[in-house]
Amino acid sequence: MTLRSEVLELPDSPDAVYQAFCERDWCDGLPIIPPTAERVEAMLATVAADPGESLGPMPPLWREATLEKLAVNAVMAGCLPEHFPVVVAAVEAMLDPAFNLYGVQATTHPVAPLLILNGPYARTIGMHGGSGCFGPGFRANATIGRAIRLIMLNVGGGWPGRHDMATHGSPAKFSYAIAENEAQNPWSPLHVELGFAPDQSVVTVFGGEAPHNVNDHVSTSASGILNTVSHTAATLGSNVKWYLSQSQLLVVLGPEHAATVAGDNFGKDDVKAFVFEHARLPLGTLKLGGMWGIQDWPRWMMAVTDDRALLPVVASPAEIYLIVAGGAGKHSAVVPNCTFSRAVSRPLSRLR
Amino acid sequence: MELAKGGTPAGLIATAAFQPLAVSELQALGMGGLPLLVIDHPLGGEKPEGVLRRAHQAVEELAALLGVAR
Repeated sequence: MTLRSEVLELPDSPDAVYQAFCERDWCDGLPIIPPTAERVEAMLATVAADPGESLGPMPPLWREATLEKLAVNAVMAGCLPEHFPVVVAAVEAMLDPAFNLYGVQATTHPVAPLLILNGPYARTIGMHGGSGCFGPGFRANATIGRAIRLIMLNVGGGWPGRHDMATHGSPAKFSYAIAENEAQNPWSPLHVELGFAPDQSVVTVFGGEAPHNVNDHVSTSASGILNTVSHTAATLGSNVKWYLSQSQLLVVLGPEHAATVAGDNFGKDDVKAFVFEHARLPLGTLKLGGMWGIQDWPRWMMAVTDDRALLPVVASPAEIYLIVAGGAGKHSAVVPNCTFSRAVSRPLSRLR
Repeated sequence: MELAKGGTPAGLIATAAFQPLAVSELQALGMGGLPLLVIDHPLGGEKPEGVLRRAHQAVEELAALLGVAR
């Protein structure tokens, strides 16, 4: 295997390597695993492709996202070799024009690509979708998500304050990767809903904010749970709802909430229809601030004049993504997108 | 950038906070010679009359940068 990256000679010391990488703006601030040739080659051995093959130029600096560069960053992030096919599929998805990675990288909004892994490979590598799945403690989640961020920094060049213009950024920009909790999903998992086979492994990237908590300890019905979800999803300060053609909303039902909702014989389409109808704000409220005056709405919404009229946050129920994730407890989450990026899914097609 | 490639005088306007991004982007896309007009940051939050005033000023300055008669 021929690698093309520049070779850096450094003292054989974790501290020296960490310091050298920080000085070159090659890390996210946390310690890294030194990307030796042996480690990079082990990573590349898990995918069927030439190391020099590029998945395409990555914004905002439009540098080539070669598999070798992806592997270097995956090593640095602490990935195991078997994690790498997930990283590759996620980058393929992020480079789809529909995802608008330039916008995701450069915006002032605190957006990060949320990676959702479905299918058997999630179980193979221990990608976690249960208790605390958005938090620490799970190597596959932490390192795959971190690899995506390091690639966005080191290959794309999205450095905070220079080319990533996020006003505050977000903790989700360190690492943001989960599996769906398919075992406790009363409905079809996301990838099957999107048309993939149940035995396929599929990565979906969603340009979202960090999760917004949905606390409902009292509802015993679908309508109760989904009213709380809908209320959390409709806020004046959210990006979602201003550019309706791109706005998408991810609903992450905790398994207990999902069981309650499904227990009322709600299917996924029912959930989406309910949230679409209830996650709304009155026109009069929308006029108070946010993006009022520069919104991009469909013609019918622009024609509304009654301040009491309730307007949706996404263009249709189909723009609401629904997954089940998390563990015990009466919490769910909503993840608004940045309103200029569309979710994209890719199967792990390069898995060797 | 597409206009400039087609021969139409064109330039870029960015606020000062976004100047590094604009410069890097132009260079990355091979358009480093495109005129860049940097205006004060922020533009968002400006009242409509302020936006109009700054827009007129920016157009004049950009026209001068491009060498286009106004």
